[in-house]
Amino acid sequence: MNSPAQRTGAASEGRRAPVLATRALSKDYGPVRVLSGVSLEFHAGEIHALLGENGAGKSTLIKMLAGVTAPSEGEILVDGAARRLRSVRDGQSHGIVALPQELSLVPTLGAAENIFLGLRRPGSRLLVDRRALDRDATALLERLGQRIPLDVPAGELSAVQQTMIALARALARDARVLILDEPTAALTEREAEQLFAVLRTLREAGTAIVYVSHRLEEVFALADTATVLLGGRHVWTRPAAQTSADDAVAAMIGRPPGQIYPQRETGEPALQRAGGPAALEVRDLRGHTLAGVSLQVPPGRVLGIGGLAGSGRSELLALIAGAQRPRGGAVLLGGQDITARRLAGRMRAGIVLVPEERRSQGLVMTHSVQDNIALANLGRFSRLGIASRSRERAAALRRAESLRIRATSIRQPVEELSGGNQQKVVLAKYLERSPRVLLLDEPTRGIDVGTKAEIYQLVRRLAAEGVAVLVVSSEIPELLGVADEIAVLHEGRLAGLVPAATATEESVLHLCYRKSA
Amino acid sequence: MMSSTAPAQAPSTEATRSRATIPARLASYGTLLGLVALIILFSVLRPQVFLTPLNFTNILEQIAILAIVTAVQTVVMVVGDFDLSVGALASLVGVITAQLLVAGTDPAAAVAAGLLTGLLAGAVNGALVSYLNLSAFIATLATMTSFTGLALLLSNGSTVFGLPDSFVWLGQGRLGPVPVPVVIALALVLLIWFVLSKTVLGRAWYAVGGNAEAARLSGVNVRLVRFSAFLVSGTGAALAGIVLTARLASGHPTAADALMLSSIAAVFLGITLSRAGQPTIGGTAVGLGIMGVLSNGLNIMQVNSYVQQVLTGLIIVLAVSLSRLSRRRR
Ligand SMILES: Nc1ncnc2c1ncn2[C@@H]1O[C@H](COP(=O)(O)OP(=O)(O)OP(=O)(O)O)[C@@H](O)[C@H]1O
Ligand SMILES: [Mg+2]
Repeated sequence: MNSPAQRTGAASEGRRAPVLATRALSKDYGPVRVLSGVSLEFHAGEIHALLGENGAGKSTLIKMLAGVTAPSEGEILVDGAARRLRSVRDGQSHGIVALPQELSLVPTLGAAENIFLGLRRPGSRLLVDRRALDRDATALLERLGQRIPLDVPAGELSAVQQTMIALARALARDARVLILDEPTAALTEREAEQLFAVLRTLREAGTAIVYVSHRLEEVFALADTATVLLGGRHVWTRPAAQTSADDAVAAMIGRPPGQIYPQRETGEPALQRAGGPAALEVRDLRGHTLAGVSLQVPPGRVLGIGGLAGSGRSELLALIAGAQRPRGGAVLLGGQDITARRLAGRMRAGIVLVPEERRSQGLVMTHSVQDNIALANLGRFSRLGIASRSRERAAALRRAESLRIRATSIRQPVEELSGGNQQKVVLAKYLERSPRVLLLDEPTRGIDVGTKAEIYQLVRRLAAEGVAVLVVSSEIPELLGVADEIAVLHEGRLAGLVPAATATEESVLHLCYRKSA
Repeated sequence: MMSSTAPAQAPSTEATRSRATIPARLASYGTLLGLVALIILFSVLRPQVFLTPLNFTNILEQIAILAIVTAVQTVVMVVGDFDLSVGALASLVGVITAQLLVAGTDPAAAVAAGLLTGLLAGAVNGALVSYLNLSAFIATLATMTSFTGLALLLSNGSTVFGLPDSFVWLGQGRLGPVPVPVVIALALVLLIWFVLSKTVLGRAWYAVGGNAEAARLSGVNVRLVRFSAFLVSGTGAALAGIVLTARLASGHPTAADALMLSSIAAVFLGITLSRAGQPTIGGTAVGLGIMGVLSNGLNIMQVNSYVQQVLTGLIIVLAVSLSRLSRRRR
């Protein structure tokens, strides 16, 4: 499948040698081959997108390129010479720098320390020259067009600022090959634009960029070359100009793509769960950012929640779920005030929050798929305090099947799953609660197009059954596609509430920035 | 639908490779192999003494009290904490129980009072850690110091003698051929195994130790769960102190102090066998086995007890680093 003839792009141009290439690269985990004989070329001054569904092997490939893991077979060529990359340091010494799928800044250190962490700097060996450090950091950030306060711990900066620090870190290491694994997953569209501008500048400067993303529009706006992987195999590599998102999707899933966003059925909700359908109402809810928000979500309604990062979207969900204590206001379910109840109590009442961060909030990484799904359902899968393994197993199998979770078995630790499949486990775990009110915080982050479509269908199906759904998303098309109504938050307040049918990307974006549409 | 994405199945099954996996497997079972190797070693060196049913009973008897403490230390370490106070608490409870007995208290009541003391001490530790948010290290280090001080105060720094036979039976008696402490330890280990692996509470302990935030957002009462682990360790430490006091037929204010480090070491040895990096009762049992066989074997070989200590330390380092190595490159 990966014969040279099919690599039309590189072959037709017949130009200079690649900076980085792989030859029949394979990776096995135990008996499972997750990457199989992949040969690729990455050129200077070129943005090369890697596409493929969840678990296709993109991150695995990238980890080998960066020296994080060793290939099982095949080789990696840097400037035409086969190299063994034994560590990330090794990769960096060849100018290969990767920004992993989950950024790894030290949250307590500032930008400058993070940028130069692990780098031997000229001059004194023992003492840190703060001034020089700050000056150099500022210079690097300026090359990226960024002004980031150096005295703020990285953990408190916005997602895009953190990405920029990670990029500056790569620049400080003289990256000739820059690898980005889903860098925009945690960014809003505006922030993503900032990142793209920087990447284009780096491309002009001759950096080879390897880019992984599930957001195909951005890929095709950005990339020069696209490669599709399917089940660990190379399907094709083409110049981006000679292919399209639809082609890519068809190759990624091995069939023609269907419609992404579902039809909205309108009908009387008929919820067969304990308690029946119930409307959610919040009155003047206040938290750290949230400064008094009132909303009503009737059963069967999907409310999308838009807004910029830091506008209070996640906090709104956390306050409704009881994951965070409010500073004021009330939460009502079916007319009953449940503000006094804590998270567990609200969960029993049917309010279920699917949190945003899968690693830190959603999963116990070392535990199995089954145990993670069971965790939110321990009380329901037990009698007299004794857990029923067989019921847990049955539920996990059912969910793994319906969400098409790719794992060797439901006993596999989730840390071994691909990012998108981990996200599906988080969804499975909370859907198993049979919610009456479902709060979804960035539910499709890192999930491939095919599965996204299925998750949207699922949301609509739940709504048709009478569940009230709130979806927070940074992707406005997603809000438009799945929600009935869109509430936009701006600095902790409701900036507007618009029906999805009449809203446009522009009108929502305008509300995000609080301009009248 | 999609040929390559059958749910819950291997992405591709055609390829098999077993190279690197065999050494990796061996290394991750290194601790278990270490136990087997120790048994073989001592069997070969001293076959007539080491490999006898009598000596086997001996080993069990020698580690029974440590096993009690280690079983409950396992629980605290599953939750992701330590309990440094278990040894000092066991000593304190020993002194209190002994003094009550000497004062003529009914043995059953004295034992109950001792256990209650342990439960209360555990509640103090648990409250400090999970409700006042002190690190378990600081909190239990502090209570350890206070418990030792209390034990010395109560006993005036001297040993309490003159315990009734009915009480001493707990430490020196036998049920058929089996020493009573061994029966008690086995029962406790089984109970903890059951709770850890079969109950909702056990699952919550593991979840909190694995990712407290994810557990919280799953509706688990994280504070209560951590608190409960310290209740268990306090009560278990008290039980160990009571059995030790019965075995020695006397209460001594520092008699059980050494149990703390050994219990943590045994749990760590056990963790090397666990894939998730969290303790299991099975792993703990192997860790205990190593500690027991090692000290028994070295005693039989008449190795100087100082040298024994040095060797024990080395073995722990060896086992833990072996399992680290197996984890490093995946
Ligand atoms: N440490 C591991 N042990 C076993 N299997 C693993 C391990 N890491 C990854 N895998 C498997 O390798 C396959 C490819 O994973 P990879 O992370 O490369 O996918 P991906 O293309 O990046 O997907 P996503 O879009 O979801 O991030 C998956 O099926 C995954 O389960
Ligand atoms: Mg990935």
